[in-house]
Order: sequence, then C-alpha cells, then structure tokens
Amino acid sequence: MKLASREQDGVIVLAPKGKIMGGPDATAMHEMLHDLVAHDKKMVVIDLAGVDWMNSTGLGILISGLTTMKNCDGDLKLANVTDKIKSLLTITKLVTVFESHDSVDSAVEAFTKG
Amino acid sequence: MAQNSEDTVTKLKKELIIPNSQTHLPEADEFIESNLESLGIDQSTVADIAISATELINNAILHGNSGDTTKKVKIGLYVEDSKVEVSISDQGAGFDPKVVPDPLAEENLLKEVGRGIFIARSLVDGLVFDTEPGWGTRAIITKHLD
Repeated sequence: MKLASREQDGVIVLAPKGKIMGGPDATAMHEMLHDLVAHDKKMVVIDLAGVDWMNSTGLGILISGLTTMKNCDGDLKLANVTDKIKSLLTITKLVTVFESHDSVDSAVEAFTKG
Repeated sequence: MAQNSEDTVTKLKKELIIPNSQTHLPEADEFIESNLESLGIDQSTVADIAISATELINNAILHGNSGDTTKKVKIGLYVEDSKVEVSISDQGAGFDPKVVPDPLAEENLLKEVGRGIFIARSLVDGLVFDTEPGWGTRAIITKHLD
C-alpha cells in the first residue's frame, strides 16, 4: 500500500492506494496519523478513491485517527468512499461515526465552513 | 479437473503455507485473488473472499499463533462449480468464537479492534471453526458462486 500526503487549504489530505489489510504498511499509516497531531495538524481528510478494499485493520486505523483528532479538538473526514468500503462501514455501524463526502474538495470545504 | 462423489467438478485445490508474520499477508492475498480471478470469478466476490480470509489470517498470526514467528499459517483454497472454500489453519491452542465481544454494541463501536470475525462472517455464506489434526484452529469460509 502506498500513502500520499498533501495539504489543501490547511487540511491534510491522505490518499492511501492499494489494499489495507494489516502489516507494516498499515502500521505506517497509523503512525502517520498520530504524527500529524504532534505537528499540530488536526484537520484530516482520508481520500479513499485509491483503496481497492480494506479489512477491519483499515477500519481500526480510521477509528484511531478519528479519535486522535477529536481528542485534540480536530476531526477526520472521509472522501470518495467506494461501494465496498461503504458496505463495511454500514455493516459495522461505523457509517454513523464517520462524516463522508463525495469528493476531497467537499470534505475540505466542510472543515472551513465549520 | 477431478470429479467428486457428488457429481460436482473440482476446479481448483491448492495450499499455501506462510511464516507467521503479517509481512506475508500480501503473498496470501495474491495467492487467493489470483487463483480465483483465473477461474473467472467476479471481482466483487473475489474481494469479499479476500477480505474475509485476510481477517482470519490476521487472527491466526496475531492470536492463534500469538505472534510466534517460528509458527506457520496454512491457507487452503478449494473451488468447485458452486462454491469456494478457504481454510485458514494456525498452530495454536484453539479458541471459542462464542466469547468474542459484539462489535456492534455501543460500548465497542469505537474500539480499534474486535471486528475481524464479524466482518469475515458478514461477507461470506458460511464460517465455521474446527480443529485440524496436526495443526490447531482451522477456520473454513464458504462462498457460494452464482
């Protein structure tokens, strides 16, 4: 899994690419999310367009990221959630926990609109 | 292709043994997905099986084998006309799937772990656990093919 990172209007956009199934790549994404807070970056969008699928490890990383951001008065939003991932979020009831947007621009705008 | 006693045709029967480390997850996933795709099984079904299987492989590595890198995980793949079966065997002491906490319970919703078996079961038509002689816990997932 590759993980691209950029900043857009003060919001960090992380774009994992591939499958999030566990192991060192997943750990790296988990650590990156926690490092962001250490650098006072608390507004994050995860662009899921490039994720083929994820299992519960991926969901755990998203939850960890969300909890970390919220504990620092920040937030984590999802963008471009594929049907496969939406299905997982639904069956695990996490669809009620995460704010999802159809595009990165929409998710970033949601931060600036407050 | 082999003909079994129920007049169904075995399309594929393969096995992969990996060292007990999550660094071998991509290898296990590739083994499952490439073999299923070569049989013309649709991508969505392949993904469901792969997600379910990797949940159980992670459990085997981390819990069944307790992260012991000297142990192994065996993945069996069996396909006939009407179904796919994937078995995942560890070398651990066994566990009771009934004692796994409910991930949908309010108090568990924001936990980072504990959803693996639930997700694995939700994406396939059957998930059973038994003990494989010479190994430990064996999880067998079944997905019917349309």
